[in-house]
Amino acid sequence: MKWKDKITLLVLALFIGGFSLWGTLTPDQAQSQAERRPLAQRPQLTLESVSSGKFMTQWEEYALDQFPLRDGFRGLKAWIALDLLGQKDVNDIYRVGESVSKLEYPLDQESVDYAASRFRFVYERYLKDSEGKIYLAIIPDKNYFLAPEGGYPALDYQELVQSLTSQMEYAQYLDIFPLLEGEDYFNTDPHWRQEKILDLAGYLNQAMGAHWKGDFQENRAEGVYRGAYWGQLGLPLPAEDICWMTSKMLDGCRVYDYETQTWQEGVYDLKQLEGADPYQLYLYGSKSLLTIENPAGDPDKELIIFRDSFGSSLAPLMVEGYSKITLVDIRYISPMILDRFLEFHGQDILFLYSTTVLNNSVTLK
Amino acid sequence: MLFSSITFLFYFLPAVLVLYFMVPAKGKNLVLLIFSLLFYGWGEPVYIFLMVASITQGYFLGRLIQKYRKTPLAGVFLWLSVGISLGLLGFFKYWNFLAGSLNQLGLIQIPLVGVSLPIGISFYTFQILSYVVDVYREKVEAQKSYLRLAVYISMFPQLIAGPIVRYSDIEPQLAHRTHSWEDASYGASRFVLGLSKKVLLANTLGELTQMFRDSGEKSVAFFWLYALACALQIYFDFSGYSDMAIGLGRIFGFRFLENFRYPFISGSVTEFWRRWHISLGSWFRDYLYIPLGGSRVSRGRWVWNILVVWLATGLWHGAQWNFVAWGLFFGVLLAAEKLLFLSRLERHPAAGRIYLLLIVTFTFVMFDSSGFMEGLGRIGGMLGLGGYPLITQETLYAFRSYGLILILACLGSTPLPGRLVQKAEEKLPRVVGMIQPVALVALLAGCTAFLVDGSFNPFLYFRF
Repeated sequence: MKWKDKITLLVLALFIGGFSLWGTLTPDQAQSQAERRPLAQRPQLTLESVSSGKFMTQWEEYALDQFPLRDGFRGLKAWIALDLLGQKDVNDIYRVGESVSKLEYPLDQESVDYAASRFRFVYERYLKDSEGKIYLAIIPDKNYFLAPEGGYPALDYQELVQSLTSQMEYAQYLDIFPLLEGEDYFNTDPHWRQEKILDLAGYLNQAMGAHWKGDFQENRAEGVYRGAYWGQLGLPLPAEDICWMTSKMLDGCRVYDYETQTWQEGVYDLKQLEGADPYQLYLYGSKSLLTIENPAGDPDKELIIFRDSFGSSLAPLMVEGYSKITLVDIRYISPMILDRFLEFHGQDILFLYSTTVLNNSVTLK
Repeated sequence: MLFSSITFLFYFLPAVLVLYFMVPAKGKNLVLLIFSLLFYGWGEPVYIFLMVASITQGYFLGRLIQKYRKTPLAGVFLWLSVGISLGLLGFFKYWNFLAGSLNQLGLIQIPLVGVSLPIGISFYTFQILSYVVDVYREKVEAQKSYLRLAVYISMFPQLIAGPIVRYSDIEPQLAHRTHSWEDASYGASRFVLGLSKKVLLANTLGELTQMFRDSGEKSVAFFWLYALACALQIYFDFSGYSDMAIGLGRIFGFRFLENFRYPFISGSVTEFWRRWHISLGSWFRDYLYIPLGGSRVSRGRWVWNILVVWLATGLWHGAQWNFVAWGLFFGVLLAAEKLLFLSRLERHPAAGRIYLLLIVTFTFVMFDSSGFMEGLGRIGGMLGLGGYPLITQETLYAFRSYGLILILACLGSTPLPGRLVQKAEEKLPRVVGMIQPVALVALLAGCTAFLVDGSFNPFLYFRF
């Protein structure tokens, strides 16, 4: 036997046998921090689960999820695909400089039409006879800035805006595209950075006739933020800082959560800095219905924002000009039942949605 | 179970290897059979019984054919076995196709059956058919051991996607086979190369073809890009599987014949089919074309024979009209080449290769389509019909994202990489000897990474 054959067999056997033993002997993990999801657990072996094929299907998922050095192998895959094979994205995730984003194209006209139809439902049912002014602002996703720079395909944003505004003739369109740039977003997450959108908050407040000075102090947690794309790409990216803006006025605000029917002091949940998704610190994360009360705000000004998660970090910056801001996320609550909780009596109304949600609007109820 | 899965690579394979090499020689076939049934049942437990029933009829009817050789009863038993095999294949694979086609005509209404296609049924049915026919033709003796015949039919390396192994080719190895470190090393290396072809190239090219299917911005250039990716994906998918099967077979002491020999360098369709899925082509030649009379008949009858064989080849690949069209198209081309222009193609090899590549590109688009009309539409798109723009932003992106992989795949489909390795081995044997294990383990690690991360992993030939 040639030494070459011996070594070939030895290294292949060591690789397969080693990882086989490692996977078998090490305890299973419950969660993937990088992918922000629970990992599949060992399925139960029963006659029924085997005969139905369920055991085998679940085992395949389990074997993938619990493979030793899973995150390392995912990183290796990203490196091979991006750097060795010259692919431009991995599982639709791509990187331009330090920033990571997810391909979002082409424009899904049906999705935009569906979103417009849900907004019209809200308008017809609650707003038509209310005397409040209605506004629309569309938040460009990161691809608007990154895709042209990196040569990636992107939505036809102009068409999206034109389509939605033409279907929402009842709303005044506030163009925030010029107020944003690529650096205003987290590198590893689709969301914007709160400390970068002060001018945008000021513009919206002023456009809606609300007072705004923007006197905030920046608070920063260094190196704690690993955004949604951080784990999806699989490559070792540095954790980022996350900031939250505070002021005396904000310190005096409190938040009512309609889901738990509780009041919270303050607009930030700083415990989330230690959690898997620190972006949840803004207005307590994903909530269907919240009201921020600002005792120092103009008692004649109230605002209702129909929004997605971008609104969580923006609304605290806007509350200065209002005594009350209510945030409604119709991905989590049906607009059919809003009148059980809210009264529409002439408040300002802002539809604030990101292009990502508008282009994938199936989640809107 | 897929070869290209974590379950196979890191659970099934180590277990079967350890047990197989631990047991004495007389127990090895039993270990192979048990693991083969587990391998097959992993995907579809209920169809184990169908395969065992097929093996059992092949075993007993093979014995009866031998017992009554040279009597009319042998023919009866042969046709009984062929009828059972083709009947099962026909029911599970073609019933809904035939019934659906007839129902569409509106003359009669035949109920459809709600059964899925048993994985690998086309492959193991053809192995059983070749076995009983060879016993009838007295080319081989009927196997007395049920275990050995069952191992021949169900052996997991070649069970579900070939190559179609002839009983006569491995009969001696079923009884007595040798195992060596050299064979094991060759087999393991071949397996890793096949796995890499499948996971790193075919699956990645599959992402490109899927991107095309999902695209809302198709263009003429994208149709061509898709066609190229599609032909290469099918090649690397299937030849990769064959490499893995041959490699695994070698580890267990079996020598399977080669199934692919760089088909894309062919200079004619005739040559292409001598290099592509060799075991299927030779099966149809020996068990259908020659019994029909082959070429030793009138010219008209000979053309008929070719068309029948290629209709069967098309249908073997799938119970859909696009496969029928695909097979018949090759039949017409093969007949035309032999009658009209094969000698001219052979005199002008460069022109022949361009002609072959164009034919393959167009035909594999039809092959990959989910129906005849879709296939026609895609071919029309390649020809600029359908009002598609010449190129779009998305097409440019696809070119840029998959360009290097396409170049690597094109090079990898030629003998060039093999020749380079061979030359390097001749000139620098020690260096190559040191690099080879490192390269193989790197490829295996890369495949593992793609498997751990990816969800796109279908084997195209499983549907046959």
